[in-house]
Amino acid sequence: MIKPKRLLSLLLRFIAFGTTLAAVILMATSHEKGTFFAVSYEAKYTDTPAFKYFVIAYAIVTVYGFLVLFLPPGSPIWRLVLALDLVFIMLLISSISAAMAIAQVGKNGNPRAAWLPVCGQVAKFCNQVTGALVAGFIALITYIILLLYSIYNLLNPLFEKA
Amino acid sequence: MKKSSSLDALARSRRSKKWVLLTVRVIAFLATATATLVMALNKETKTLVVAMVGSTPIKVTLTAKFQHTPAFVFFVIANGMASFHNLMMIMVELFGQKLDYKGLRLAMIAILDMVTSTVALISGGASAATFMAEVGKNGNSHARWNKICDKFETYCDRGGVAIIASSAGLILMLIITAMSIFKLLNKPNSVSS
Repeated sequence: MIKPKRLLSLLLRFIAFGTTLAAVILMATSHEKGTFFAVSYEAKYTDTPAFKYFVIAYAIVTVYGFLVLFLPPGSPIWRLVLALDLVFIMLLISSISAAMAIAQVGKNGNPRAAWLPVCGQVAKFCNQVTGALVAGFIALITYIILLLYSIYNLLNPLFEKA
Repeated sequence: MKKSSSLDALARSRRSKKWVLLTVRVIAFLATATATLVMALNKETKTLVVAMVGSTPIKVTLTAKFQHTPAFVFFVIANGMASFHNLMMIMVELFGQKLDYKGLRLAMIAILDMVTSTVALISGGASAATFMAEVGKNGNSHARWNKICDKFETYCDRGGVAIIASSAGLILMLIITAMSIFKLLNKPNSVSS
């Protein structure tokens, strides 16, 4: 039968894969058209390079998470997975940080630079982007828990020796 | 006879590795400290002529400070904390040879390196600041956000220098993390010092 350790790790990885997929889908399908005093505008995620980076980064991690789900236990590739986890966490952190910086300006504006907030006109777009960022955050926290768990399993023999 | 000379060689190589790690840490500390300072002291004031009333121009004084943008505030705080962490680690390596708790010291150093400095702080701060600087430099036509770098050139240049210094610090912290982890994994197999 499946050991409880393996089951916990598999469950965490499935949650991580699911939330990264949700973040990608939510961000990629967020677009809204409207008119503002006879000026028509359209808000898409491709308007900002930060959101494009977010979609690309999370798409890469989704594919990685999907492939790792099928890795058999006890294979020597798990050490590589540990290192790759660290690299991909860095990618996730940088992309969500960039997306949040731009989203914060979009929501609150920056009066000193004469940048008006955009969320008043494209509320549906803003809500969907917020949802994508929340899903991205949950994925990030899940990956960090996974990393700490893997390090704990790796270092446990060292602790017992001392 | 042969065994003691190989032990000597091992001890020598471990000492030289310790100095290499320390030097890289000092350089990384300098890089992140530079980034913090350059961004924190980034300020530019400019007087612009807004309109003409008759023959007297109406002037407006605008200041660009790093506190106006939350992304840059995060950048300064993150790099500051990473510099502090580096400083603490340098102190511990130089002066704290007696401090140990069940052999956990190397593990704690490696984990702290990885989690706090490298992964979370510096990469998040540098990335947010980079994208905010990109908007400031190119503007965003879809959101009607004008670029500001053509009016505040010194501010933008200094910001760019700070971001480059932080990225260099990030790469150095990655190298340090890899070295710390290798030290941690090789510890049980080698002779204790």
